[in-house]
Amino acid sequence: MAMPLPPGLAHSEVAFLAEMELVTVVPRQRLESIDLLGGATPPLRPPHRTDLPLWLALLLKKQRRANIVPPHWLHPSSLSEIIHHETKVNPKAFSAPPPTPVRADTHNPGHAHRQGSGGGGAQQQQQQQEQLLLSAPFRASCTADAPAGYLPYHWLEVAESLLAHAGDDVASALGASAGEVRGLLRDLVEVRAAKMRSSTADLEEFGGGLMSMRGVGAVELAESRGFVLGVVDGVRKVGASAEAVRREKEEEEGEEGGGEEGESDEEMGIF
Amino acid sequence: MSYYDIDSILTDAEKIPCTFQIDIPDLGYLDNTPTQSLKAGTRVNLPLWLAEMLAIANTGDAEGKSFVTFDLPPALGNDVVQALKADPRAVPLRDQSAHFYGLGTHMMELSEEKELAAVLRKTFVTRASEVALHARKVGGVGHRGKGAAEEGSNLGVGGAGEEFLRGLDEWERKLFRKAHDGAKSGKEWMEGIKKN
Repeated sequence: MAMPLPPGLAHSEVAFLAEMELVTVVPRQRLESIDLLGGATPPLRPPHRTDLPLWLALLLKKQRRANIVPPHWLHPSSLSEIIHHETKVNPKAFSAPPPTPVRADTHNPGHAHRQGSGGGGAQQQQQQQEQLLLSAPFRASCTADAPAGYLPYHWLEVAESLLAHAGDDVASALGASAGEVRGLLRDLVEVRAAKMRSSTADLEEFGGGLMSMRGVGAVELAESRGFVLGVVDGVRKVGASAEAVRREKEEEEGEEGGGEEGESDEEMGIF
Repeated sequence: MSYYDIDSILTDAEKIPCTFQIDIPDLGYLDNTPTQSLKAGTRVNLPLWLAEMLAIANTGDAEGKSFVTFDLPPALGNDVVQALKADPRAVPLRDQSAHFYGLGTHMMELSEEKELAAVLRKTFVTRASEVALHARKVGGVGHRGKGAAEEGSNLGVGGAGEEFLRGLDEWERKLFRKAHDGAKSGKEWMEGIKKN
């Protein structure tokens, strides 16, 4: 019997997707626009900064045709700030994802969905398509314009790739050794992994069976997916009989209460 | 709970204490008295699937008596529940039953045990985070022989950690495997970045 694939994306798949993230490069050589399936790349004119997909940027970096400008959130001060926030300020929740551009929330006020087109004029193409609501891989969250103090969805993948292949650029641009940045990243990974583990405690109370995954990165999700799903499923199974009893009771009450119950249900539906 | 789920089959084979409510002829061998009939009031440990059937089945008796009544198995007894209330992490569940949670949920389906449900839930959730912690720590076990440096990073394995892991029931073992697989693939990915 063929083994079914585990649900969700594996690490390699997540890392592959992360290569779509746009990063800022400073080209050293001219390069004309390349027609790719995903659209044409902007032409490279040294020394003007340009946003390229991570895979292309790494390729050019390896060929010494470009230098990569690391995003602001990779700066040691930004990372320490995030670590401070995660450990001291808000030790329960994960730090928030990058803020949504202002014009994005017209449809759903009060909701911070990852939508909106290019962060603050980061991308000329996207500015023309203002109507388009774009999600993580198309948001320019890893370019030089990305705000400091927020971790984007693909933070760990991009950071690790940049450190591994463009360590010298990172070091010179941030004024810190690659080792220091790497150490901070490790700390952050550990802090957040511990948080992921302890967040299972939120499932303890009946009725409070919610784990907030806001701000969790793609790699972290890939790593914890099996565990978290297992815990939630286990809690569901343990509570199954109590749930059945509760439902029966509710149904009985609903029959006794008649119309009243139905109305209140409708009211709930509005909110 | 699929039909072919080995764990659910094994859970059904767990014995629970039952008390027969009526005399049954020719079943004396269950109580080591092969020549006699089984008397009412005899306590016999029966597998869960059989006890369930006998407890639910209608005897045709006017008083609506069932064949047997059953109690909670010792694995879910008062001692264990009190110990779990005190500290869920300190109880080796596997010593109670290899299918502790399976047994617990099945018993709760048969009889409503509000307190037990709350205790089990708390136990599972508390132990889950502990399981995840150990799963992350033993990340190096998959490829041992990397030398002392690798071993040194696996703090907590051996000693209390090993003892805790030995006390995991089947659900928790599955959870451990999942968490460990996740941590391991994460580690492999991290090491592989530099190569390509």
